[in-house]
Amino acid sequence: MSLDRVAADRGIAISSTRKHTSRWVILALQIFTFVFIVLVWEFGARLGYIDEFFFSKPTDIAALIYKWFATGFIWLHLGTTLLEAFLSFVIGTILGIIFGVALARIDLLCAVLDPYIRILNALPRVILAPIFLIWFGLGLTSKVALGISLTFFVVFFNTLQGVREVDNVILNNARMLQASDRQLMRYVYMPSAMSWILSSLHVSIGFALIGAVIGEYMGSTHGMGYLVAQAQGLFNTTGVFAGLIVTSTLVLAIDMGIIRLERYLLRWRPKH
Amino acid sequence: MPETNGSPTESAIHFQDLTVRFATPAGDIHTVVEDITLDIDDGSFVAVVGPSGCGKSTLLNVAAGLLVPPKGNVLIFNEPLQGINKHAAYLFQQDALLPWRTVLENVRLGLTFRGVGYAEATDEAEKWIARVGLAGFEDRFPYQLSGGMRKRVAIAQSWIVDPRILLMDEPFSALDIQTRQNMENELLSLWLENRKTVLFITHDLEEAIALADKVVVLSAGPAHLKGVYDVDLERPRDVIEIRMDPKFTRLYQQIWADLRDEVKRSYDESR
Ligand SMILES: Nc1ncnc2c1ncn2[C@@H]1O[C@H](COP(=O)(O)OP(=O)(O)OP(=O)(O)O)[C@@H](O)[C@H]1O
Ligand SMILES: [Mg+2]
Repeated sequence: MSLDRVAADRGIAISSTRKHTSRWVILALQIFTFVFIVLVWEFGARLGYIDEFFFSKPTDIAALIYKWFATGFIWLHLGTTLLEAFLSFVIGTILGIIFGVALARIDLLCAVLDPYIRILNALPRVILAPIFLIWFGLGLTSKVALGISLTFFVVFFNTLQGVREVDNVILNNARMLQASDRQLMRYVYMPSAMSWILSSLHVSIGFALIGAVIGEYMGSTHGMGYLVAQAQGLFNTTGVFAGLIVTSTLVLAIDMGIIRLERYLLRWRPKH
Repeated sequence: MPETNGSPTESAIHFQDLTVRFATPAGDIHTVVEDITLDIDDGSFVAVVGPSGCGKSTLLNVAAGLLVPPKGNVLIFNEPLQGINKHAAYLFQQDALLPWRTVLENVRLGLTFRGVGYAEATDEAEKWIARVGLAGFEDRFPYQLSGGMRKRVAIAQSWIVDPRILLMDEPFSALDIQTRQNMENELLSLWLENRKTVLFITHDLEEAIALADKVVVLSAGPAHLKGVYDVDLERPRDVIEIRMDPKFTRLYQQIWADLRDEVKRSYDESR
């Protein structure tokens, strides 16, 4: 994820008048940064400036990741985490959109539920993990529940905002053309909210994975979080780092998929 | 109630003692339209002129049913207006196309909403797109068109549903002079074909006289009726040639005398 992308996700505007650097230059600089950090780390560890016990070293981590994939050991864990994250992402997103649209359209519902939603959102959700473990057991359900509790609010608040930001003239035009309430939803509200919803997905996919991994970390029998917890129990920092790197690469890959989807769905917007 | 004292023409839009007020950000009350009573006959072409910001668009919003006036009545074909005006198509002053739909989908919209089948609606939309001179642009999104092209799409979008009343808010002011005169002539021939009721807002007095049967002059805000003028120029008209007509010039001078005071007043007040 580029820094601009991160800024955009947090709702910070990016100036379109800023001068653009060629993307090949950017790519080259990105690769350079990566190589530089890896080299400093590697040689720092080899020369004794960095303590390998706490920080491991890139070649060891790479070797371990290679072994995981070569032996096929990783697939069960990766698959479990992916399934949990996927389920929480999909269910959280759908619930977020449904509630967001409903509350944006029905003022009474919004007024009544407003304080409760704020309280729930302010709750540090990670603390719910042990409770979900007690309620739903060590299996998949407790992780999905935690993931949903994280993803739901991101999508919900963005949908609410998106539906409310609808341009009044466009809305009135559709009403004059005699759109029914359902047609207004389909032709005006949803497409208008779509850019908000899509940008929330970048954040919520990360949250879905966090939910899955933390849930596994706290109690499970497989999954990436379980791998990391196991390695940590044995003071195996190489294992911890390898687990983290595989997990974050996964997020990166999924995020690229979302960017593609975004590009397709928002093709009606001017390219800057 | 408008009197129907044997007159053959039916009233299409009737404003009765219409007053519209808005709250200003400071919390004061800002009267925009004041005590307007105006009758627009079915099948007539009425142009409204007045200084910028005087309340012309507000008047149109009331006729469309988008704005409920705090005081006064609106009758559409002698029925009190409730909710959206179902007889009217509205051409907005601002960009109002759905930015996420293509030209074809935008033009088709009114038919789609009314449940017309896909093939029939598409055929009709293509005809209209060609009519406003945009054949070949069916698959473009609005951001890929110029301002004038977007306006022409909007015209096709509002006329395709064949409404009894056309509400038009400065529809041609974004167009270049050539396209504008073409569209004006097109509008006139269209109107002669089936005599819809047109309420047409413009800031261009020449345009108003060239097109309309009746020119309504509004005063600087709060708008009330400053004058209503009958335009007794023969039809069919050509919007360019009609301007050479001595009757046209006389009317122009007469109405301009009225309008000039208001424009000047509005300008002085805003300084
Ligand atoms: N929704 C609103 N809330 C508050 N004030 C409004 C609103 N709509 C219009 N006004 C005010 O009403 C006045 C008239 O606005 P309106 O849009 O009717 O003017 P207009 O005659 O169409 O002007 P123009 O020729 O520039 O389009 C303006 O002073 C404007 O500030
Ligand atoms: Mg206006």
